[in-house]
Amino acid sequence: MKNRLKVLRAERDWTQADLAQRLDVSRQTIVAIEKGKYDPSLTLAFKTARLFDQAIEAIFLDETDQ
Amino acid sequence: MEQSSLARRTSKNTKQLALWTGLWLVSLALVAFGPTLLWDYHKVMSVIAICVNLLMGVKMIMANKHHLEGLDELQQRIHLEAMALSLGCSMVFGAVYGLLDAVKLFDDVSNPANGLFVNPSNILFVMGLTYGLGMFLAHRKYA
Repeated sequence: MKNRLKVLRAERDWTQADLAQRLDVSRQTIVAIEKGKYDPSLTLAFKTARLFDQAIEAIFLDETDQ
Repeated sequence: MEQSSLARRTSKNTKQLALWTGLWLVSLALVAFGPTLLWDYHKVMSVIAICVNLLMGVKMIMANKHHLEGLDELQQRIHLEAMALSLGCSMVFGAVYGLLDAVKLFDDVSNPANGLFVNPSNILFVMGLTYGLGMFLAHRKYA
């Protein structure tokens, strides 16, 4: 699954560690999500959407739809 | 930067796990060496030592469970993948290992060289090594 996490993070000038702290996950998790190696749970996806004040589908893009 | 809630939680849970693992190991050493070095095979003392060891074991298992529950979802998945490899290898290794004696591959267990092979605690080494390998592979997969 693709995502816009890196872009959204860059817009706010946050490091991966900053984002990890805000989402209460490890930096490794942020790295894996940004690289598309790990798809977050629905809970973490909702938490991310709330943090960036965006809809989930605006952050996480289902490649099967394209 | 301020330490995150995850880091604080993991640090606390890791210390708890280390404490109970240490106590379990000490109690296991007591069961192993107490009868010969401390109480000359007194059965009541041995039973007490075994009960203490089992209690420490239960506390260690609970600490490990608590530690795993405190990790974030990717860390939990990494441990899950390592456990899957470890459990699978231990099962395969353990199944064939139990047959070594039956097929008389190592029938002279008094021979130290053979005794090394038929020691049941070897399964713990397989479990530990494959768990470590699983952790390494899963970390590399998600890096």
